Amino acid sequence: MKKLLRRLFLLGVLAGAAYAARSYLQGQSPGKETVQIVFDDGSARSLASNTTEGQEFTHIARKLVESGL
Amino acid sequence: MPASAANRGREMLMAERSGAETAEGLNGVLADLRALSEDIESCAVLSGDGDLLSSSHGPGVDRERVGAMLAALVNLSERVARESGKGHISQLRIDTGGGHLLVVRLDGGGVLAATTGQEARVGLVLYDMRNSRGEVEKALAEGSDR
Repeated sequence: MKKLLRRLFLLGVLAGAAYAARSYLQGQSPGKETVQIVFDDGSARSLASNTTEGQEFTHIARKLVESGL
Repeated sequence: MPASAANRGREMLMAERSGAETAEGLNGVLADLRALSEDIESCAVLSGDGDLLSSSHGPGVDRERVGAMLAALVNLSERVARESGKGHISQLRIDTGGGHLLVVRLDGGGVLAATTGQEARVGLVLYDMRNSRGEVEKALAEGSDR
């Protein structure tokens, strides 16, 4: 029983480490797109790239970055 | 030539000269900004009316298209500001995955925009852009005073 619990614990640690590594790599991926808007009162709002609003911004911005201003 | 036609011609000529002087002043400010902030790949100034007043565009870049796309982005961000119950945007930062597009709002509704590579020190570039904002506004004001 003790051996089984130890194996389950190790399995849990391994699964957690794999999940953490995957999340970290996804967060660092070069393809990630983000939009950050700062308003005149100093507050800010971020738009995720998987939202329609965020995609509108990144679609235009990508073209401008590629062509230059 | 009637006097009114001559006056109109003179006014048009003065407006053209003023526009050329404004563009010259802005080109100087943008050149200084690019020299100061090496991460900037290209930059431009868009008026509050959506006209591209100055840009560091390379050959083959369609100025009108760039101006229209930049104006569309500014309109989008102002829409987000309205929807969020805010007055105006002061800064916009977009990470496209292949580079960054940075926008700083000027007095009067115009914007100073720049593009950088993916590895650029974006915070530093935005700092330099905010510092150049006064010079850009000054060049715009001098052009409209003439």
